Amino acid sequence: MNDTKPMTKKVDRWVMVLVILGIAITAFYSFRAVRSFARVQLTGLKPGTTDVEAVRGWMTIPYLAQMYCVPADYLFQKINVPAAGNDKKSLYDLNREYFSGQSGAILPKIKDAIRSAQPACQQGKTSP
Amino acid sequence: MSSISDFFLTGLISYGAPLFGLALMLGAIGIPIPTSLLVIAAGAFSRQGMLNLVPAAGIGLLGAVTGDSISFAMGRWGGNWVSRRFGGSSIWNNAQSTFNRSSRWSVFFTRFLLTAIAIPVNLMAGSSCQYRRFLVTVVAGEAIWILVYGGLGYLFGSQWEVISQFLSDFGGLALGLALLGGGIYYFMRRRMQKSMEPELAS
Repeated sequence: MNDTKPMTKKVDRWVMVLVILGIAITAFYSFRAVRSFARVQLTGLKPGTTDVEAVRGWMTIPYLAQMYCVPADYLFQKINVPAAGNDKKSLYDLNREYFSGQSGAILPKIKDAIRSAQPACQQGKTSP
Repeated sequence: MSSISDFFLTGLISYGAPLFGLALMLGAIGIPIPTSLLVIAAGAFSRQGMLNLVPAAGIGLLGAVTGDSISFAMGRWGGNWVSRRFGGSSIWNNAQSTFNRSSRWSVFFTRFLLTAIAIPVNLMAGSSCQYRRFLVTVVAGEAIWILVYGGLGYLFGSQWEVISQFLSDFGGLALGLALLGGGIYYFMRRRMQKSMEPELAS
């Protein structure tokens, strides 16, 4: 009987930890889930919508070309980066290699290039 | 998003389905890769024409099932050692018998819900389940994961990051509820046991 009492206390303690952890995680993620659900509702289902503000550092030039309907060569030319050997590199990598020391310098350039090319692209032309 | 996510997203759009399969395999072994995010992104990239939907889904499923099988094997070899070491204790035996009663459902649901505990479940399954039974359950669970998450990515297209964030938060909420439910269940059981103790003693 004396041996089982410390064991019982230990189990009780673990049960309490489980309940407290459960409450904490549930509260934290409930708030986040409601917030992100509201974002889903706000965004709605617009699968083809492509705003230039959605450009991210992990994207590559061929991906941006496909996503925003802009020729890849045009984008490479606009940011003064050679196309050869750079088609699989992310914007982060291109920024590091060709815009060294200027954090995030490539993003405004690429956004401007897309903005200037998109209207022509949307009118059905293949090159701006 | 973290730099690991960024690395794999760049890889996914550059190298396509083979990298997708490899990432899902490594994730299923236990390497911390945001695989659910990649499945949603793969669905969106298919919609945008960067990935071929059917081969990507097939290779992804193959990768995930291979990874699960590897962690099952680790559980089998490691489990034998753990079983020899702790097999005599009542806590171990209780945990083992509780898992055995619900192993199929545990394996199935942790493929797409409560994915954070999929690896411990694989290891537990490795030490107590038949591989064939595990494989059938894993294929069904992973197929649902890829179809539902990938399907949502496809449906939302360029807005996939929004749905990915929601599913990630929902997964966390499900984990919290599972812990809370488990805690309340054991709390009630302990109270019942305690209330019965004086009766048994008398």
